[in-house]
Amino acid sequence: MGFQGYAVAAAVAALCTAAGFALFPLVSLTDLVMVYLVGTLVVALRGWRGPALFSSLLGVLCFNFFFVPPRFTLHVEHSQFVVTFLVMFAVALIISHLAVRVRTQAEAAKRAEIVAETERLRSSLLSAVSHELRTPLAAIVGSASTLLQSAAPSRDLLLNIRDEADRLTRLIHNLIETSRLEFGASLKKELYPIEDVIGTALERVDKILAGRGVETDLPENLPLVPVDPVLMELVFVNLLENAARHAPEAALVVSARERMDHLEVAIADRGPGLKPEDLERVFDKFFRASAAPGAGLGLAICKAVVTAHGGTIRAENRPGGGAMFILTLPRKAA
Amino acid sequence: MSQKKATVLVVDDERAIQRFLRPSLEENGFAVLEASTGKSALDLVVARKPDVILLDLTLPDMDGLEVLSRLREWTSAPVIVVSARGQETDKIVGLNRGADDYLTKPFGVEELLARIRVALRHAERVARDPEPVYEHGDLKIDLTSRRVWLAKKEVRLSPLQYTLLAALVREAGRVVDQKRLLKEIWPEGGSTPEALRILVHQTRHRVEKEPVRPRHLKTEPAVGYRLESPDD
Repeated sequence: MGFQGYAVAAAVAALCTAAGFALFPLVSLTDLVMVYLVGTLVVALRGWRGPALFSSLLGVLCFNFFFVPPRFTLHVEHSQFVVTFLVMFAVALIISHLAVRVRTQAEAAKRAEIVAETERLRSSLLSAVSHELRTPLAAIVGSASTLLQSAAPSRDLLLNIRDEADRLTRLIHNLIETSRLEFGASLKKELYPIEDVIGTALERVDKILAGRGVETDLPENLPLVPVDPVLMELVFVNLLENAARHAPEAALVVSARERMDHLEVAIADRGPGLKPEDLERVFDKFFRASAAPGAGLGLAICKAVVTAHGGTIRAENRPGGGAMFILTLPRKAA
Repeated sequence: MSQKKATVLVVDDERAIQRFLRPSLEENGFAVLEASTGKSALDLVVARKPDVILLDLTLPDMDGLEVLSRLREWTSAPVIVVSARGQETDKIVGLNRGADDYLTKPFGVEELLARIRVALRHAERVARDPEPVYEHGDLKIDLTSRRVWLAKKEVRLSPLQYTLLAALVREAGRVVDQKRLLKEIWPEGGSTPEALRILVHQTRHRVEKEPVRPRHLKTEPAVGYRLESPDD
């Protein structure tokens, strides 16, 4: 900005002088001072301290040279004009000082607003995450200390420890991948049969599904799609876990279809479904439909990952009850 | 393995991990040695010649992969690399530097024991001839007659599909990384990872009852494939 500010100040002085020539026959000499003061104000409002000072000085010089008799010299005939110059310079200084201050205060206020917003996001992240971290930890510590005190190991408590630790593991994995994506990590896309990716996800959620049925409808000759297998597996793990959590009874259905230029995959449950106003919000970070457990991160990362693949994801209510998540993946790498 | 207790060397600097591994391994009939640095691990391998080495890649004094390379200069004892999720590149490098298998943290005891048993059995089998018949659940593969059955019904496979299965049977229970499979199935080269994935996909549709939930031919994400170890 250094050089640019001074160039603008010079240009403004030139403009003021041009305006002065136009106004010269019409107004008194002292009124022309106002024109230069406006020029200085304009420069000062950009928030440049040095150029504003430069503009004040330039204004006085131009006024003297072009308009004060004898014109087109820096020589001054009447001593009264020396006072005019001094006052003009002083006013210009004060104006520029005030304008610069207004500008910097406005900027500081804006920065403070951004800081406050980040702070708010951070604290809601912290509270969501710490709640999510503490709940399983509390269960683990509680179960383990009970086991330490009791003579015979209880299978329930042991299962509790294992399942809650698994839950922590998934949460941490989600957090790591979320921040990886937010830091702009690139996807490692390769061509995969979607069945392979869905298969590894199913294996990973095996314990959560606890033997309940998952119907799959995946034609054998589906085209390969360019995906980052680790991230896309995470998408299916989150969608399956989400469905298992909100729709605890009936079977889940995973299906895929080949479309013109993309692959469409749907995961459907027979749970309570979603309120119409929640259909879009479920993908927001920290949004939690109902009081179900969860940090509200799972679906948000699904959306982030699918979008990063150039695909789309949406939620719908199924005819006959239940929710359905439909994602599309382009068949060609973007 | 009934005569003498097999010895497992656990190389990990986390006390919590050591504390859980020792009792679970001892309870399952293994003798346990512990090392918390790369240097002490190398010394222990020289002095005590463990049957299996469980090597964590994150060690305080040196890179776990470096420890592996040094071990492989003079011992062929099976090494199972232990690492966190997301370190897939390290796993592949580990396998290429001679690790037998890997475990992803966090893991359960069943998984750990299964890997150790496969590694021991494999080390034993290298000395003898390979088992000619593989059986796991409803899948049976006979390497001598080159025939495959699913639920007692013979399955027709293309030559490539059979080559894939045979390559995995020879390493049954162990992960085989993608590069190695490509080399074994297409020795003259010119193939791609995509072709391998399609081949696995098609093979699954022949030998798995539910191809999306394979019981025999498992995917090891971003690393390779594993055929479950045969029934005893």
